Amino acid sequence: MSIRKSERAYLLFLLPSALVVAVVLLFPLGYAVYLSFFRYFMGGENPAFIGLDNYTSLLSDSRTLWALLNTLVIVVASVALQFVVGFAVAYGLFRLARGGGVAATLNFIPHIVTPVVGALFMKWMFAGRWGLIDGLLTSVGITPPNWLGDPAWATATIILADTWRFAPFMTLVLYAGLQAMDQSILEAAAVDGAGGWALISRVIVPALKPIILFVLAIRTMDAVRYFDIIYVLTGGGPGTATETLTTYTYVLGFRALEVGKASALGVLTLALILLMMTGLVSWIYRRERGDF
Amino acid sequence: MKSRHQFLLILALLAFTAINLTPVFWAFLTSLKQPVDAFAIPPKLVFSPTLMFHYEVWTERGFWSFLVNSLVVSVATVVISVPLGAMAGYALARSRSRHRQPVLFGLLAVRMFPQILLAIPFFIMANALGLIDTYFALIVSFVAINQPFTIWLMRSFFVDVPLELDQAARIDGCNEWQVFFKVVLPVVKPGLVVAAIFSFLLGFNEFLFALILSGSGTKTLPVAIAEYGGEDVAYWSISAAAAIGIMLPPLLLTLFAQKHLVRGMTVGAVKG
Repeated sequence: MSIRKSERAYLLFLLPSALVVAVVLLFPLGYAVYLSFFRYFMGGENPAFIGLDNYTSLLSDSRTLWALLNTLVIVVASVALQFVVGFAVAYGLFRLARGGGVAATLNFIPHIVTPVVGALFMKWMFAGRWGLIDGLLTSVGITPPNWLGDPAWATATIILADTWRFAPFMTLVLYAGLQAMDQSILEAAAVDGAGGWALISRVIVPALKPIILFVLAIRTMDAVRYFDIIYVLTGGGPGTATETLTTYTYVLGFRALEVGKASALGVLTLALILLMMTGLVSWIYRRERGDF
Repeated sequence: MKSRHQFLLILALLAFTAINLTPVFWAFLTSLKQPVDAFAIPPKLVFSPTLMFHYEVWTERGFWSFLVNSLVVSVATVVISVPLGAMAGYALARSRSRHRQPVLFGLLAVRMFPQILLAIPFFIMANALGLIDTYFALIVSFVAINQPFTIWLMRSFFVDVPLELDQAARIDGCNEWQVFFKVVLPVVKPGLVVAAIFSFLLGFNEFLFALILSGSGTKTLPVAIAEYGGEDVAYWSISAAAAIGIMLPPLLLTLFAQKHLVRGMTVGAVKG
Protein backbone atom coordinates (compact mmCIF):
# COMPACT_ATOMS: atom_id res chain seq x y z
CA MET A 1 0.00 0.00 0.00
CA SER A 2 2.04 2.92 -1.19
CA ILE A 3 1.29 6.47 -0.17
CA ARG A 4 0.80 7.37 -3.82
CA LYS A 5 -1.90 4.76 -4.16
CA SER A 6 -3.74 6.22 -1.19
CA GLU A 7 -3.43 9.72 -2.58
CA ARG A 8 -5.01 8.58 -5.82
CA ALA A 9 -7.89 7.07 -3.84
CA TYR A 10 -8.34 10.35 -1.94
CA LEU A 11 -8.63 12.17 -5.23
CA LEU A 12 -11.51 9.87 -6.15
CA PHE A 13 -13.16 10.52 -2.80
CA LEU A 14 -12.95 14.23 -3.49
CA LEU A 15 -14.27 13.98 -7.02
CA PRO A 16 -18.09 13.92 -6.55
CA SER A 17 -18.06 16.90 -4.22
CA ALA A 18 -15.57 18.74 -6.42
CA LEU A 19 -17.85 18.21 -9.42
CA VAL A 20 -20.84 19.66 -7.59
CA VAL A 21 -18.85 22.66 -6.39
CA ALA A 22 -17.37 23.23 -9.84
CA VAL A 23 -20.63 22.91 -11.78
CA VAL A 24 -23.06 24.52 -9.36
CA LEU A 25 -20.86 27.13 -7.65
CA LEU A 26 -17.78 27.98 -9.66
CA PHE A 27 -19.32 27.87 -13.12
CA PRO A 28 -22.24 30.17 -12.16
CA LEU A 29 -19.75 32.47 -10.46
CA GLY A 30 -17.75 32.66 -13.68
CA TYR A 31 -20.95 33.22 -15.62
CA ALA A 32 -21.92 36.08 -13.29
CA VAL A 33 -18.52 37.71 -13.78
CA TYR A 34 -18.98 37.29 -17.56
CA LEU A 35 -22.47 38.82 -17.41
CA SER A 36 -21.16 41.80 -15.50
CA PHE A 37 -19.50 43.03 -18.72
CA PHE A 38 -22.78 43.05 -20.63
CA ARG A 39 -25.85 45.17 -20.86
CA TYR A 40 -28.46 42.49 -20.44
CA PHE A 41 -32.09 42.70 -19.42
CA MET A 42 -33.60 39.40 -18.37
CA GLY A 43 -36.09 38.32 -21.00
CA GLY A 44 -34.99 41.18 -23.26
CA GLU A 45 -32.79 41.18 -26.34
CA ASN A 46 -29.42 39.49 -26.50
CA PRO A 47 -26.67 40.71 -24.18
CA ALA A 48 -24.51 43.51 -25.54
CA PHE A 49 -20.86 43.72 -24.50
CA ILE A 50 -20.15 47.04 -22.81
CA GLY A 51 -16.82 46.39 -21.11
CA LEU A 52 -16.56 48.02 -17.71
CA ASP A 53 -19.56 50.33 -18.15
CA ASN A 54 -21.65 48.53 -15.52
CA TYR A 55 -18.86 49.02 -13.01
CA THR A 56 -18.20 52.67 -13.81
CA SER A 57 -21.88 53.53 -13.75
CA LEU A 58 -22.35 51.72 -10.43
CA LEU A 59 -19.32 53.35 -8.82
CA SER A 60 -20.42 56.82 -9.90
CA ASP A 61 -23.98 56.20 -8.75
CA SER A 62 -24.78 57.68 -5.34
CA ARG A 63 -27.27 54.87 -4.70
CA THR A 64 -24.39 52.33 -4.72
CA LEU A 65 -22.33 54.42 -2.33
CA TRP A 66 -25.35 54.83 -0.09
CA ALA A 67 -25.89 51.05 -0.09
CA LEU A 68 -22.21 50.56 0.72
CA LEU A 69 -22.42 53.05 3.58
CA ASN A 70 -25.58 51.39 4.92
CA THR A 71 -23.92 47.98 4.70
CA LEU A 72 -20.89 49.17 6.64
CA VAL A 73 -22.99 50.93 9.30
CA ILE A 74 -25.25 47.92 9.80
CA VAL A 75 -22.37 45.42 9.80
CA VAL A 76 -20.12 47.35 12.20
CA ALA A 77 -22.92 48.37 14.58
CA SER A 78 -24.66 45.01 14.73
CA VAL A 79 -21.50 42.91 15.02
CA ALA A 80 -20.15 45.20 17.76
CA LEU A 81 -23.46 45.21 19.63
CA GLN A 82 -23.99 41.47 19.40
CA PHE A 83 -20.44 40.82 20.54
CA VAL A 84 -20.86 43.00 23.63
CA VAL A 85 -24.25 41.51 24.48
CA GLY A 86 -23.11 37.99 23.61
CA PHE A 87 -19.98 38.26 25.72
CA ALA A 88 -21.80 39.78 28.69
CA VAL A 89 -24.40 37.01 28.68
CA ALA A 90 -21.77 34.30 28.20
CA TYR A 91 -19.78 35.65 31.14
CA GLY A 92 -22.93 35.88 33.26
CA LEU A 93 -23.82 32.28 32.46
CA PHE A 94 -20.27 31.21 33.22
CA ARG A 95 -20.41 32.90 36.63
CA LEU A 96 -23.75 31.32 37.44
CA ALA A 97 -23.33 28.71 40.20
CA ARG A 98 -25.82 26.35 38.56
CA GLY A 99 -28.39 26.31 35.78
CA GLY A 100 -26.03 27.86 33.22
CA GLY A 101 -26.72 25.15 30.68
CA VAL A 102 -30.50 25.56 30.77
CA ALA A 103 -30.27 29.34 30.61
CA ALA A 104 -27.86 29.06 27.67
CA THR A 105 -30.28 26.84 25.78
CA LEU A 106 -33.25 29.14 26.41
CA ASN A 107 -31.31 32.17 25.24
CA PHE A 108 -30.19 30.32 22.14
CA ILE A 109 -33.75 30.02 20.81
CA PRO A 110 -33.72 33.30 18.81
CA HIS A 111 -30.85 31.90 16.77
CA ILE A 112 -32.60 28.60 15.99
CA VAL A 113 -35.75 30.15 14.57
CA THR A 114 -35.90 30.08 10.76
CA PRO A 115 -34.47 33.49 9.71
CA VAL A 116 -37.57 34.65 7.86
CA VAL A 117 -39.74 33.65 10.81
CA GLY A 118 -37.42 35.43 13.24
CA ALA A 119 -37.62 38.55 11.11
CA LEU A 120 -41.43 38.35 11.25
CA PHE A 121 -41.29 38.01 15.05
CA MET A 122 -39.30 41.23 15.06
CA LYS A 123 -41.74 42.86 12.70
CA TRP A 124 -44.62 42.07 15.04
CA MET A 125 -42.68 43.75 17.84
CA PHE A 126 -41.86 46.92 15.93
CA ALA A 127 -44.80 47.26 13.53
CA GLY A 128 -46.44 50.67 13.71
CA ARG A 129 -49.45 50.99 15.97
CA TRP A 130 -50.29 47.28 16.38
CA GLY A 131 -46.82 46.02 17.25
CA LEU A 132 -46.20 45.02 20.87
CA ILE A 133 -43.78 47.87 21.56
CA ASP A 134 -46.08 50.53 20.15
CA GLY A 135 -49.01 49.00 21.99
CA LEU A 136 -47.14 49.19 25.29
CA LEU A 137 -45.81 52.69 24.70
CA THR A 138 -49.10 54.22 23.58
CA SER A 139 -50.97 52.68 26.49
CA VAL A 140 -48.70 54.53 28.90
CA GLY A 141 -49.06 57.72 26.90
CA ILE A 142 -45.75 57.79 25.02
CA THR A 143 -45.87 58.49 21.30
CA PRO A 144 -43.52 55.93 19.75
CA PRO A 145 -41.26 56.73 16.83
CA ASN A 146 -42.04 55.22 13.46
CA TRP A 147 -39.67 52.26 13.90
CA LEU A 148 -39.78 50.89 10.37
CA GLY A 149 -40.90 54.02 8.53
CA ASP A 150 -38.32 56.56 9.69
CA PRO A 151 -34.91 56.17 7.98
CA ALA A 152 -32.74 56.39 11.10
CA TRP A 153 -35.05 54.28 13.27
CA ALA A 154 -35.43 51.68 10.53
CA THR A 155 -31.64 51.26 10.45
CA ALA A 156 -31.57 51.00 14.24
CA THR A 157 -34.39 48.44 14.18
CA ILE A 158 -32.51 46.31 11.67
CA ILE A 159 -29.41 46.44 13.84
CA LEU A 160 -31.48 45.37 16.84
CA ALA A 161 -33.17 42.56 14.91
CA ASP A 162 -29.81 41.31 13.67
CA THR A 163 -28.48 41.45 17.23
CA TRP A 164 -31.47 39.53 18.53
CA ARG A 165 -30.70 36.76 16.08
CA PHE A 166 -26.92 36.61 16.34
CA ALA A 167 -25.99 37.60 19.90
CA PRO A 168 -27.08 34.07 20.98
CA PHE A 169 -24.57 32.62 18.51
CA MET A 170 -21.81 34.71 20.11
CA THR A 171 -23.02 33.71 23.58
CA LEU A 172 -23.00 30.01 22.79
CA VAL A 173 -19.51 29.98 21.30
CA LEU A 174 -17.96 32.28 23.92
CA TYR A 175 -19.65 30.34 26.74
CA ALA A 176 -18.09 27.16 25.37
CA GLY A 177 -14.77 28.97 25.20
CA LEU A 178 -15.03 30.13 28.81
CA GLN A 179 -15.83 26.62 29.96
CA ALA A 180 -12.91 25.18 28.04
CA MET A 181 -10.52 27.74 29.54
CA ASP A 182 -7.88 26.58 31.96
CA GLN A 183 -9.76 27.40 35.17
CA SER A 184 -6.56 27.55 37.22
CA ILE A 185 -5.64 30.82 35.44
CA LEU A 186 -8.84 32.35 36.74
CA GLU A 187 -8.19 31.10 40.27
CA ALA A 188 -4.63 32.40 40.21
CA ALA A 189 -5.84 35.79 39.00
CA ALA A 190 -8.47 35.88 41.74
CA VAL A 191 -5.81 35.11 44.34
CA ASP A 192 -3.73 37.98 42.94
CA GLY A 193 -6.70 40.21 43.61
CA ALA A 194 -7.79 40.71 40.01
CA GLY A 195 -11.56 41.07 39.95
CA GLY A 196 -14.29 42.32 37.68
CA TRP A 197 -13.08 44.42 34.81
CA ALA A 198 -9.36 43.70 35.27
CA LEU A 199 -10.04 39.97 35.23
CA ILE A 200 -12.01 40.25 32.01
CA SER A 201 -9.68 42.55 30.11
CA ARG A 202 -6.32 41.23 31.34
CA VAL A 203 -6.99 37.52 31.71
CA ILE A 204 -10.13 36.31 29.97
CA VAL A 205 -10.05 38.27 26.72
CA PRO A 206 -6.39 37.39 25.99
CA ALA A 207 -7.06 33.72 26.76
CA LEU A 208 -10.11 33.63 24.48
CA LYS A 209 -8.51 35.67 21.71
CA PRO A 210 -8.59 32.98 19.00
CA ILE A 211 -12.27 32.28 19.62
CA ILE A 212 -13.14 35.98 19.81
CA LEU A 213 -11.37 36.67 16.52
CA PHE A 214 -13.12 33.69 14.99
CA VAL A 215 -16.65 34.79 15.91
CA LEU A 216 -15.96 38.40 14.92
CA ALA A 217 -14.53 37.34 11.57
CA ILE A 218 -17.30 34.90 10.67
CA ARG A 219 -20.07 37.26 11.76
CA THR A 220 -18.59 40.18 9.84
CA MET A 221 -18.35 38.15 6.63
CA ASP A 222 -21.87 36.80 7.01
CA ALA A 223 -23.34 40.18 7.95
CA VAL A 224 -22.04 41.78 4.74
CA ARG A 225 -24.07 39.41 2.60
CA TYR A 226 -27.09 39.07 4.87
CA PHE A 227 -30.45 39.33 3.18
CA ASP A 228 -33.39 37.66 4.94
CA ILE A 229 -33.92 40.04 7.87
CA ILE A 230 -33.73 43.25 5.84
CA TYR A 231 -35.89 41.82 3.05
CA VAL A 232 -38.67 40.94 5.49
CA LEU A 233 -38.38 43.91 7.86
CA THR A 234 -38.03 46.89 5.55
CA GLY A 235 -37.33 45.55 2.05
CA GLY A 236 -34.60 48.23 1.95
CA GLY A 237 -37.06 51.00 2.70
CA PRO A 238 -38.39 53.49 3.47
CA GLY A 239 -37.30 54.50 -0.03
CA THR A 240 -33.70 53.33 -0.09
CA ALA A 241 -33.00 54.26 3.53
CA THR A 242 -31.94 50.77 4.66
CA GLU A 243 -30.82 49.44 1.31
CA THR A 244 -27.61 47.40 1.54
CA LEU A 245 -25.37 46.06 -1.22
CA THR A 246 -27.27 42.77 -1.10
CA THR A 247 -30.80 44.16 -1.25
CA TYR A 248 -29.75 46.64 -3.97
CA THR A 249 -28.36 43.74 -6.00
CA TYR A 250 -31.66 41.92 -5.53
CA VAL A 251 -33.64 44.96 -6.71
CA LEU A 252 -31.36 45.43 -9.73
CA GLY A 253 -31.48 41.77 -10.71
CA PHE A 254 -35.00 40.66 -9.88
CA ARG A 255 -37.08 43.83 -9.96
CA ALA A 256 -35.36 45.96 -12.60
CA LEU A 257 -34.17 42.76 -14.35
CA GLU A 258 -30.83 44.45 -15.20
CA VAL A 259 -28.89 41.25 -14.65
CA GLY A 260 -25.64 42.56 -16.12
CA LYS A 261 -25.50 45.48 -13.74
CA ALA A 262 -26.71 43.36 -10.83
CA SER A 263 -23.90 40.87 -11.50
CA ALA A 264 -21.38 43.71 -11.48
CA LEU A 265 -22.64 44.84 -8.07
CA GLY A 266 -22.43 41.23 -6.84
CA VAL A 267 -18.83 41.04 -8.04
CA LEU A 268 -18.03 44.30 -6.24
CA THR A 269 -19.56 42.87 -3.04
CA LEU A 270 -17.48 39.72 -3.42
CA ALA A 271 -14.38 41.87 -3.90
CA LEU A 272 -15.22 43.76 -0.71
CA ILE A 273 -15.64 40.52 1.23
CA LEU A 274 -12.39 39.05 -0.11
CA LEU A 275 -10.59 42.30 0.71
CA MET A 276 -11.91 42.20 4.27
CA MET A 277 -11.01 38.53 4.57
CA THR A 278 -7.42 38.97 3.41
CA GLY A 279 -7.06 42.08 5.54
CA LEU A 280 -8.33 40.23 8.58
CA VAL A 281 -6.26 37.12 8.01
CA SER A 282 -3.02 39.02 7.45
CA TRP A 283 -3.77 41.27 10.44
CA ILE A 284 -4.30 38.22 12.65
CA TYR A 285 -1.15 36.57 11.28
CA ARG A 286 0.97 39.64 11.89
CA ARG A 287 -0.25 40.06 15.44
CA GLU A 288 -0.27 36.41 16.36
CA ARG A 289 2.72 35.04 14.50
CA GLY A 290 3.24 31.53 15.69
CA ASP A 291 0.12 31.62 17.79
CA PHE A 292 -2.26 30.84 15.00
CA MET B 1 -21.51 38.67 49.68
CA LYS B 2 -21.03 35.82 47.28
CA SER B 3 -24.68 34.77 47.48
CA ARG B 4 -25.81 38.37 46.97
CA HIS B 5 -23.77 38.46 43.77
CA GLN B 6 -25.38 35.23 42.64
CA PHE B 7 -28.82 36.61 43.41
CA LEU B 8 -28.25 39.75 41.35
CA LEU B 9 -26.76 37.70 38.53
CA ILE B 10 -29.75 35.38 38.45
CA LEU B 11 -32.09 38.37 38.44
CA ALA B 12 -30.22 40.01 35.56
CA LEU B 13 -30.13 36.80 33.52
CA LEU B 14 -33.82 36.15 34.14
CA ALA B 15 -34.71 39.65 32.99
CA PHE B 16 -32.55 39.27 29.90
CA THR B 17 -34.01 35.87 29.07
CA ALA B 18 -37.54 37.23 29.46
CA ILE B 19 -36.87 40.12 27.08
CA ASN B 20 -34.99 37.86 24.69
CA LEU B 21 -37.89 35.43 24.39
CA THR B 22 -40.67 38.02 24.32
CA PRO B 23 -40.88 38.14 20.50
CA VAL B 24 -41.37 34.36 20.34
CA PHE B 25 -43.86 34.35 23.19
CA TRP B 26 -45.75 37.28 21.70
CA ALA B 27 -46.07 35.56 18.32
CA PHE B 28 -47.33 32.47 20.10
CA LEU B 29 -49.99 34.49 21.92
CA THR B 30 -50.98 36.26 18.70
CA SER B 31 -51.46 32.90 16.99
CA LEU B 32 -54.10 32.05 19.63
CA LYS B 33 -55.96 35.36 19.41
CA GLN B 34 -59.09 36.44 17.63
CA PRO B 35 -58.49 39.70 15.73
CA VAL B 36 -60.36 41.68 18.38
CA ASP B 37 -57.80 40.52 20.97
CA ALA B 38 -54.80 40.73 18.65
CA PHE B 39 -55.32 44.45 18.03
CA ALA B 40 -56.29 45.49 21.54
CA ILE B 41 -54.47 48.44 23.10
CA PRO B 42 -53.06 48.00 25.68
CA PRO B 43 -51.87 44.58 24.49
CA LYS B 44 -53.79 41.74 26.07
CA LEU B 45 -52.21 38.95 28.05
CA VAL B 46 -55.51 37.44 29.13
CA PHE B 47 -58.00 36.37 26.46
CA SER B 48 -59.88 33.29 25.42
CA PRO B 49 -57.48 31.37 23.21
CA THR B 50 -58.41 29.67 19.96
CA LEU B 51 -56.56 27.09 17.90
CA MET B 52 -58.61 27.83 14.80
CA PHE B 53 -55.81 29.76 13.08
CA HIS B 54 -53.37 26.92 13.60
CA TYR B 55 -55.87 24.61 12.03
CA GLU B 56 -56.80 26.98 9.23
CA VAL B 57 -53.28 27.80 8.10
CA TRP B 58 -52.13 24.20 7.70
CA THR B 59 -55.31 22.88 6.12
CA GLU B 60 -57.15 25.60 4.26
CA ARG B 61 -54.24 27.92 3.43
CA GLY B 62 -52.12 25.24 1.82
CA PHE B 63 -49.24 25.32 4.30
CA TRP B 64 -49.47 21.56 4.48
CA SER B 65 -48.20 21.28 0.93
CA PHE B 66 -45.46 23.87 1.60
CA LEU B 67 -44.38 21.71 4.53
CA VAL B 68 -44.18 18.71 2.21
CA ASN B 69 -42.08 20.77 -0.22
CA SER B 70 -39.77 21.88 2.57
CA LEU B 71 -39.34 18.34 3.85
CA VAL B 72 -38.66 16.87 0.40
CA VAL B 73 -36.02 19.48 -0.32
CA SER B 74 -34.37 19.35 3.12
CA VAL B 75 -34.23 15.57 3.32
CA ALA B 76 -32.84 15.30 -0.20
CA THR B 77 -30.22 17.90 0.69
CA VAL B 78 -29.15 15.78 3.66
CA VAL B 79 -29.14 12.51 1.72
CA ILE B 80 -26.94 13.90 -1.05
CA SER B 81 -24.85 16.46 0.76
CA VAL B 82 -23.69 14.47 3.78
CA PRO B 83 -22.22 11.46 1.90
CA LEU B 84 -20.47 13.73 -0.62
CA GLY B 85 -19.18 15.98 2.15
CA ALA B 86 -18.05 13.05 4.27
CA MET B 87 -16.04 11.54 1.41
CA ALA B 88 -14.41 14.85 0.56
CA GLY B 89 -13.82 15.64 4.23
CA TYR B 90 -12.12 12.29 4.69
CA ALA B 91 -9.90 12.85 1.67
CA LEU B 92 -8.89 16.30 2.90
CA ALA B 93 -8.22 15.01 6.42
CA ARG B 94 -5.97 12.16 5.21
CA SER B 95 -4.28 13.48 2.10
CA ARG B 96 -0.71 14.75 2.45
CA SER B 97 -0.82 16.46 -0.92
CA ARG B 98 0.47 20.02 -1.05
CA HIS B 99 -2.77 21.03 -2.79
CA ARG B 100 -4.75 20.22 0.32
CA GLN B 101 -4.35 23.59 2.04
CA PRO B 102 -5.32 25.71 -1.00
CA VAL B 103 -8.40 23.53 -1.53
CA LEU B 104 -9.47 23.96 2.09
CA PHE B 105 -9.06 27.73 1.98
CA GLY B 106 -10.73 27.86 -1.40
CA LEU B 107 -13.76 26.14 0.13
CA LEU B 108 -13.76 28.66 2.95
CA ALA B 109 -13.74 31.48 0.40
CA VAL B 110 -16.64 29.83 -1.43
CA ARG B 111 -18.59 29.73 1.80
CA MET B 112 -18.16 33.51 2.04
CA PHE B 113 -19.63 34.16 -1.42
CA PRO B 114 -22.42 36.69 -1.39
CA GLN B 115 -25.25 34.34 -2.32
CA ILE B 116 -27.06 37.07 -4.18
CA LEU B 117 -24.21 36.95 -6.72
CA LEU B 118 -24.95 33.27 -7.36
CA ALA B 119 -28.70 33.85 -7.38
CA ILE B 120 -28.55 35.75 -10.66
CA PRO B 121 -26.79 33.08 -12.78
CA PHE B 122 -28.79 30.36 -10.99
CA PHE B 123 -32.01 31.99 -12.06
CA ILE B 124 -30.87 32.53 -15.66
CA MET B 125 -29.52 28.99 -15.98
CA ALA B 126 -32.52 27.34 -14.33
CA ASN B 127 -34.79 29.40 -16.54
CA ALA B 128 -32.92 28.39 -19.69
CA LEU B 129 -32.99 24.71 -18.68
CA GLY B 130 -36.68 24.84 -17.71
CA LEU B 131 -35.84 24.00 -14.10
CA ILE B 132 -37.69 26.84 -12.36
CA ASP B 133 -40.26 25.46 -9.93
CA THR B 134 -38.67 22.01 -9.76
CA TYR B 135 -37.40 20.21 -6.68
CA PHE B 136 -34.26 19.45 -8.67
CA ALA B 137 -33.16 23.08 -8.93
CA LEU B 138 -33.73 23.69 -5.23
CA ILE B 139 -31.97 20.51 -4.13
CA VAL B 140 -28.95 20.99 -6.38
CA SER B 141 -28.43 24.56 -5.25
CA PHE B 142 -28.86 23.69 -1.56
CA VAL B 143 -26.44 20.78 -1.82
CA ALA B 144 -23.87 23.00 -3.51
CA ILE B 145 -24.02 25.88 -1.06
CA ASN B 146 -23.93 23.33 1.76
CA GLN B 147 -20.82 21.49 0.54
CA PRO B 148 -18.08 23.75 1.94
CA PHE B 149 -19.67 23.63 5.40
CA THR B 150 -20.19 19.87 5.40
CA ILE B 151 -16.66 19.20 4.15
CA TRP B 152 -15.04 21.39 6.80
CA LEU B 153 -17.19 19.96 9.57
CA MET B 154 -16.62 16.33 8.58
CA ARG B 155 -12.92 16.95 8.11
CA SER B 156 -12.68 18.22 11.70
CA PHE B 157 -14.14 14.91 12.89
CA PHE B 158 -11.91 12.75 10.65
CA VAL B 159 -8.79 14.59 11.82
CA ASP B 160 -9.54 13.32 15.34
CA VAL B 161 -9.50 9.68 14.21
CA PRO B 162 -6.00 8.24 14.73
CA LEU B 163 -4.16 7.32 11.54
CA GLU B 164 -3.19 4.00 13.10
CA LEU B 165 -6.77 2.85 12.60
CA ASP B 166 -6.46 3.25 8.82
CA GLN B 167 -3.09 1.53 8.79
CA ALA B 168 -4.27 -1.42 10.84
CA ALA B 169 -7.24 -1.85 8.49
CA ARG B 170 -4.92 -1.76 5.47
CA ILE B 171 -2.70 -4.40 7.00
CA ASP B 172 -5.83 -6.51 7.49
CA GLY B 173 -6.31 -6.29 3.72
CA CYS B 174 -8.94 -3.56 3.40
CA ASN B 175 -8.86 -1.48 0.24
CA GLU B 176 -9.18 2.30 0.47
CA TRP B 177 -12.95 2.26 0.14
CA GLN B 178 -13.30 -0.37 2.88
CA VAL B 179 -10.96 1.57 5.16
CA PHE B 180 -13.22 4.59 4.78
CA PHE B 181 -16.61 2.94 4.77
CA LYS B 182 -16.18 0.05 7.19
CA VAL B 183 -13.54 1.31 9.60
CA VAL B 184 -13.31 5.10 9.81
CA LEU B 185 -16.88 6.16 9.01
CA PRO B 186 -18.46 4.27 11.95
CA VAL B 187 -16.10 6.11 14.29
CA VAL B 188 -17.34 9.53 13.17
CA LYS B 189 -21.04 8.73 13.47
CA PRO B 190 -21.62 11.72 15.80
CA GLY B 191 -20.11 13.91 13.09
CA LEU B 192 -22.50 12.49 10.51
CA VAL B 193 -25.43 13.25 12.80
CA VAL B 194 -24.30 16.85 13.31
CA ALA B 195 -23.69 17.29 9.58
CA ALA B 196 -27.10 15.82 8.81
CA ILE B 197 -28.89 18.10 11.27
CA PHE B 198 -27.16 21.24 10.03
CA SER B 199 -27.73 20.29 6.39
CA PHE B 200 -31.40 19.74 7.14
CA LEU B 201 -31.60 23.12 8.84
CA LEU B 202 -29.97 24.78 5.83
CA GLY B 203 -32.51 23.21 3.50
CA PHE B 204 -35.40 24.02 5.81
CA ASN B 205 -34.39 27.63 6.51
CA GLU B 206 -32.91 28.73 3.19
CA PHE B 207 -34.76 31.72 1.77
CA LEU B 208 -33.01 33.54 -1.08
CA PHE B 209 -32.59 30.64 -3.52
CA ALA B 210 -35.98 29.23 -2.62
CA LEU B 211 -37.50 32.65 -3.30
CA ILE B 212 -35.95 32.77 -6.75
CA LEU B 213 -36.11 29.15 -7.88
CA SER B 214 -39.38 27.88 -6.43
CA GLY B 215 -42.84 28.35 -7.87
CA SER B 216 -46.40 27.45 -7.01
CA GLY B 217 -45.60 23.73 -7.05
CA THR B 218 -42.40 23.78 -4.98
CA LYS B 219 -42.78 26.77 -2.67
CA THR B 220 -41.05 26.10 0.65
CA LEU B 221 -42.25 27.30 4.06
CA PRO B 222 -39.93 30.34 4.41
CA VAL B 223 -41.05 31.70 1.02
CA ALA B 224 -44.70 31.07 1.83
CA ILE B 225 -44.55 32.74 5.23
CA ALA B 226 -42.64 35.72 3.83
CA GLU B 227 -45.46 36.22 1.32
CA TYR B 228 -48.04 36.22 4.09
CA GLY B 229 -45.72 38.65 5.79
CA GLY B 230 -46.99 41.12 8.29
CA GLU B 231 -48.13 43.71 5.76
CA ASP B 232 -51.82 43.11 6.07
CA VAL B 233 -52.72 43.18 9.74
CA ALA B 234 -55.81 41.08 9.02
CA TYR B 235 -53.51 38.09 8.49
CA TRP B 236 -51.52 38.46 11.70
CA SER B 237 -53.06 35.60 13.62
CA ILE B 238 -52.83 33.31 10.59
CA SER B 239 -49.20 34.11 9.84
CA ALA B 240 -48.29 33.94 13.53
CA ALA B 241 -49.78 30.44 13.63
CA ALA B 242 -47.73 29.46 10.58
CA ALA B 243 -44.59 31.06 12.03
CA ILE B 244 -44.91 29.14 15.29
CA GLY B 245 -45.43 25.88 13.39
CA ILE B 246 -42.43 26.49 11.13
CA MET B 247 -40.29 27.21 14.17
CA LEU B 248 -40.88 23.80 15.74
CA PRO B 249 -38.81 21.38 13.58
CA PRO B 250 -35.59 23.44 13.85
CA LEU B 251 -36.21 23.91 17.57
CA LEU B 252 -36.60 20.19 18.24
CA LEU B 253 -33.66 19.23 16.03
CA THR B 254 -31.37 21.73 17.68
CA LEU B 255 -32.31 20.56 21.16
CA PHE B 256 -31.55 17.04 19.98
CA ALA B 257 -28.14 18.14 18.69
CA GLN B 258 -27.38 20.31 21.71
CA LYS B 259 -24.21 18.49 22.67
CA HIS B 260 -22.63 19.21 19.30
CA LEU B 261 -24.13 22.63 18.70
CA VAL B 262 -20.96 24.64 19.18
CA ARG B 263 -18.97 22.39 16.92
CA GLY B 264 -21.60 22.61 14.19
CA MET B 265 -22.00 26.37 14.54
CA THR B 266 -18.28 26.98 14.20
CA VAL B 267 -17.70 24.44 11.42
CA GLY B 268 -15.56 22.38 13.73
CA ALA B 269 -13.28 25.27 14.66
CA VAL B 270 -14.37 25.26 18.31
CA LYS B 271 -14.76 21.85 19.87
CA GLY B 272 -17.32 22.56 22.54
